[in-house]
Amino acid sequence: MIELKNVSKSYRTDTIETLALQNLNLSVPAGEFLSIMGPSGCGKSTLLNIMGLIDEPSTGSVILADQEITNYNGTQIAKFRNEQLGFIFQSFHLINDLSVVDNVELPLLYRNISGKERRRMALEALAHVTLSNRAGHFPNQLSGGQKQRVAIARAIVGQPNIILADEPTGNLDSRMGDEIMDILLRLNAELGTTIVMVTHDDRMARKTHRLIRLSDGERVS
Amino acid sequence: MFRHLLKLMWNKRRANSMIFLEILLAFIVLFGVYAFIFYNLNRYSSPLGFNYANSMGVRMDLNDDLDSLGVLAAQERIRQDLLAMPNIEAVTWVGPVNPFGGSTWQTGSMVRGQHILTQMMFVDEHFANTAEVDMLEGRWFDESDLKGKYLPMVVNREFKERYYPNVTTLVDSIIDLDGEHKIVGVTSDFKYKSNFAENFPLSFFAQPERLAQDDPFEMLIVRFTPGTLAEIEEPVYNLLVGHTKNTDVVIWDMAKDRIKSNRNIVLPMIILIVISGFLLINIALGLFGVLFTQINRRRAEIGLRKAMGATNGQVTGQFVGEMLIVTGMALVLGAFFAVQVPFLELLPIDGKYFYYGIVGAILTILFIVVLCSLLPSRQAAALQPAEVLHEE
Repeated sequence: MIELKNVSKSYRTDTIETLALQNLNLSVPAGEFLSIMGPSGCGKSTLLNIMGLIDEPSTGSVILADQEITNYNGTQIAKFRNEQLGFIFQSFHLINDLSVVDNVELPLLYRNISGKERRRMALEALAHVTLSNRAGHFPNQLSGGQKQRVAIARAIVGQPNIILADEPTGNLDSRMGDEIMDILLRLNAELGTTIVMVTHDDRMARKTHRLIRLSDGERVS
Repeated sequence: MFRHLLKLMWNKRRANSMIFLEILLAFIVLFGVYAFIFYNLNRYSSPLGFNYANSMGVRMDLNDDLDSLGVLAAQERIRQDLLAMPNIEAVTWVGPVNPFGGSTWQTGSMVRGQHILTQMMFVDEHFANTAEVDMLEGRWFDESDLKGKYLPMVVNREFKERYYPNVTTLVDSIIDLDGEHKIVGVTSDFKYKSNFAENFPLSFFAQPERLAQDDPFEMLIVRFTPGTLAEIEEPVYNLLVGHTKNTDVVIWDMAKDRIKSNRNIVLPMIILIVISGFLLINIALGLFGVLFTQINRRRAEIGLRKAMGATNGQVTGQFVGEMLIVTGMALVLGAFFAVQVPFLELLPIDGKYFYYGIVGAILTILFIVVLCSLLPSRQAAALQPAEVLHEE
């Protein structure tokens, strides 16, 4: 499902070159729930961004859903992201000027889907995260846990094969964090969605199928 | 996508209210300016109906002691003496209302059940030849007409079309307008005030009617060979001073007079265009400012949309689209107000100029908005999602 071969990523300024990832190899089979841990600045988010095609590796290749992505152009990458990937962020990234259901519909706007069908799919996604009763609310009327559930609904509304979650429980208290984790586990179990999650929380990571650790841009376990 | 943007802009209506107001005001000003310009350009495009080039205007005092016959005789002597000079092609005496002179006379009368309102010019029988007036039907009056039962009269096309649209020919018609007159000819368009003057019904009458009021013509139009004004000006002046025995003779170039008379419209038009230009620059800067601020505030949203699958083109289209929606709303409201002007006939001007004004203002504002939205929107599209999503 996800395969990274010899992926390296470096950031260059005028005076210094920072190596964020070094010759990283990783294979994530379909349906796996993988968590990535490591200290701040070790390259976890960079790795997730490269898997999510919102950043490019400096060297190496990325294969997602059996497709070699390295040579895709901007439009092809955008289409792939839209159809195959779902994102969940630590700070939710909801659009405050849109209602909950409109936020959930967002990925579907970039597909050729009628407004009626979009609405149906968005409400279905909200039902998955038991937030149907909040469809007409605005993000600033929700708690942190509810916001993250909206973000999960947005991630799954397009029925992607892969969900990439960047510290999804990082801004939540432990009770809400558990709630979110339960939803992700349920999605993985019921829909077979492959999930890659970056986390600092060892307790959350232990609930997933597999855990890898990064340090200074290298995989250490 | 349109509904999505509409919803987004509606939910941001407070934030967009200032730009909405700015565009609405700009539309109203531009609408007025365009309507004014279109209206005057249309007037300018219709011909004057006479030749002013290579002509000089002359104002002089005739001897007050002369009776009517004496005036006519003196005028004819002066005319013949001028015609005898080299490079002078034609000469005519005209009354106080004359081309580019700034004076207007009007008369109105009920004629067979309809109220006829017409401007008046008193000229002699040589006017058509000297000013090269274009005749639509009939002819200019001559000496024989002055001895007939009815006083002669010539009208312009506007007179005929406004008051007698269904009459095949007005020639030989008798009309009671300050006395019974016989129409001997119809000119094509004739506007004597300026190029921007309205095409208004106009009637030409002969000098005897003014002589009866002890008001003889004291102005001449002298047509000369092209390029000879400088060399004939002084001899003409000397000749006329010799005739009047005083130096109160004023000579001017009618071509310059025309330019001066047009200034009354051209100057406000230029001022309005400059004001509109500043207004458009103001809108452009406002849009730039608003968009740059919005894009800075919405970097995460842009990153999110790109992460969700939006292409660069779709992000550009979104921001241009948002601006177009706010603009569209302001333009619809502005157009609603603007349409009331012709609809309720608030001004005595043909409604089509207001509709042209609406279309012109809409197109100009849309052009400016698209132009000013493109650069910031492209910058927004170029943002890297990995970078901006990491910022929060």
